Amino acid sequence: MSTSTMLAIETRDLSKTYRLGFWMNKRVLALQNLTLAIEPGQVYGLLGPNGAGKSTTIKILMNLVQATSGTASLFGHAPDSKEARRNVGFLPENPAPYEYLTGEEFVRLAGQLVGLSGHELDQRVKEVLGAVGMARTAGLQIRRYSKGMVQRIGLAQAIVGKPRLLILDEPTSGLDPVGRREIRDLILQEREHGTTVLFCTHIIPDVEALCTRVAVLVNGRLAREGSVQELLTTQVPLVELTIEGLTPDTVRGLGHPIEQLQDLSNRLLIRAGDAHVQPLLKSVLGAGGRVTKLQPARFSLEDLFLQAMSEAKHGSVGGEITS
Amino acid sequence: MMQQFLALTFNGFREARRNRVTVVVGAFALGLLVASTLLTNLSISTFDRVLTDVGIGIMSIVLVLLAVFLSSGMLSREIERKTLFLIVSKPISRALFLCARFAGNMLTLGVLLVLMGALFIAQIALYGTLITEAQFVAIGMLFFELLVLSSIGFAMSSFSSQMVSATVTVGAYFAGHLGGDIYELSNKAEDPLLQWVGKAVYYALPNLSRLNYRIQATYELPTPLPELVPHMLYAVGYSTVMILIAITLFSRRDFK
Repeated sequence: MSTSTMLAIETRDLSKTYRLGFWMNKRVLALQNLTLAIEPGQVYGLLGPNGAGKSTTIKILMNLVQATSGTASLFGHAPDSKEARRNVGFLPENPAPYEYLTGEEFVRLAGQLVGLSGHELDQRVKEVLGAVGMARTAGLQIRRYSKGMVQRIGLAQAIVGKPRLLILDEPTSGLDPVGRREIRDLILQEREHGTTVLFCTHIIPDVEALCTRVAVLVNGRLAREGSVQELLTTQVPLVELTIEGLTPDTVRGLGHPIEQLQDLSNRLLIRAGDAHVQPLLKSVLGAGGRVTKLQPARFSLEDLFLQAMSEAKHGSVGGEITS
Repeated sequence: MMQQFLALTFNGFREARRNRVTVVVGAFALGLLVASTLLTNLSISTFDRVLTDVGIGIMSIVLVLLAVFLSSGMLSREIERKTLFLIVSKPISRALFLCARFAGNMLTLGVLLVLMGALFIAQIALYGTLITEAQFVAIGMLFFELLVLSSIGFAMSSFSSQMVSATVTVGAYFAGHLGGDIYELSNKAEDPLLQWVGKAVYYALPNLSRLNYRIQATYELPTPLPELVPHMLYAVGYSTVMILIAITLFSRRDFK
């Protein structure tokens, strides 16, 4: 078996352009040359602001949208083949199951569509409804469900066929903290069963809690990619200083490179590169300032995300628009 | 594959049932009751004919409207509400999804037709008038008319909104019953181009007058089965072409 068929998901130079307007003359470059390789067993996070291309990537993988160029495969199969989707469970953003069905009926229908029947289907429906905490309310029509309950039924239908790959689009959006925690626990549970998980979100704590590897998309392009550890440790170490007795202009006038300066009314919060901290300290003290706190700054995924955003070509979110 | 097809087909029927489409049968029963009460003043010989004419006429109007509503909104509603994201992402082809949804639609219309037909026959029996073979033929051929109309609504729904689909389907219904006139008019045109265009329109539109046996039912004129078969095949063929168009358009469509 070749390397590419071993990968759970592989994309090469994947691009998608939407044509808009009455004459279809406006082009939105929703995704540009995305290359990803996701190995089995990974929990992979697609991170990015609204309109970054996360959902477009997922829709191409689920054959809901066709790529303009490039290739994508799921366990070596093209997204438009039934074989590709046989091993995949999918939860779209804001899932909309048939409202006239009960939760149980919908999960049963999903089970039938993935090929389950008879006793195996009954057993599996019961199992997954229990796993998502819907065993008690599964007999109610979905139109009576809260958003959190719909999300759980969405997840139940995704896992009913015991997929090897779970693709989740914003699985925790709109949920209360308890609901988010429960969905996160379910994803972790699936990871422990060896399921590969690809999920996209803009909720950074979810990525930090769940992912082994992340890709940051900005304006339809891949801005960062790697393991969470790798991405955070390869950053230049920063030090955070809290200073009193000086104005922001005075500090800037000292002439040292500063990454970030925040005026907190009676004190200043400064972030500077490790190598520049000693001369900066000397200058601050020399100018009559008082250092009340000095600590290494933890570079978080949020910082990485914001850094990628600020480095992007456009200041705004969404794919590039051309005529 | 058959299991998936049946699951989706019966789900379509369940959708109609849960969305209280069966209320339509109640409305039909009420319509029949009101109509027959108004008609009791007519002479005995006319009463038989008018009862059949009105009964099958009401059935036809109610079911045609329902077919337009169900078929034109079926795919566009699924796309708009994004319910189909959860279904077409399963290991089934879009063609199977479409065919099963269409079959569910026809199952719903078929069941309603049978229920309304039973009510109509019960009413005929109640008034002690004659139950004829021609009445069954008219009711049976109505199903084929609904099949053609549904397939047009369905094909339109695969790429346009419910409003556009419904308008085109209603237009096709009226134009389909005037097919013969369009053909005659094109024959009378002097310009060969106009003749050609007229005939092209005639062949493109469904010829629904081929499937209309209401007059035969009213005048108790029997139609032998061999005469019906080509018309049935025509309806099935026309619907198949429409469904193939829907599959071709739907299979290439992006769902943003």
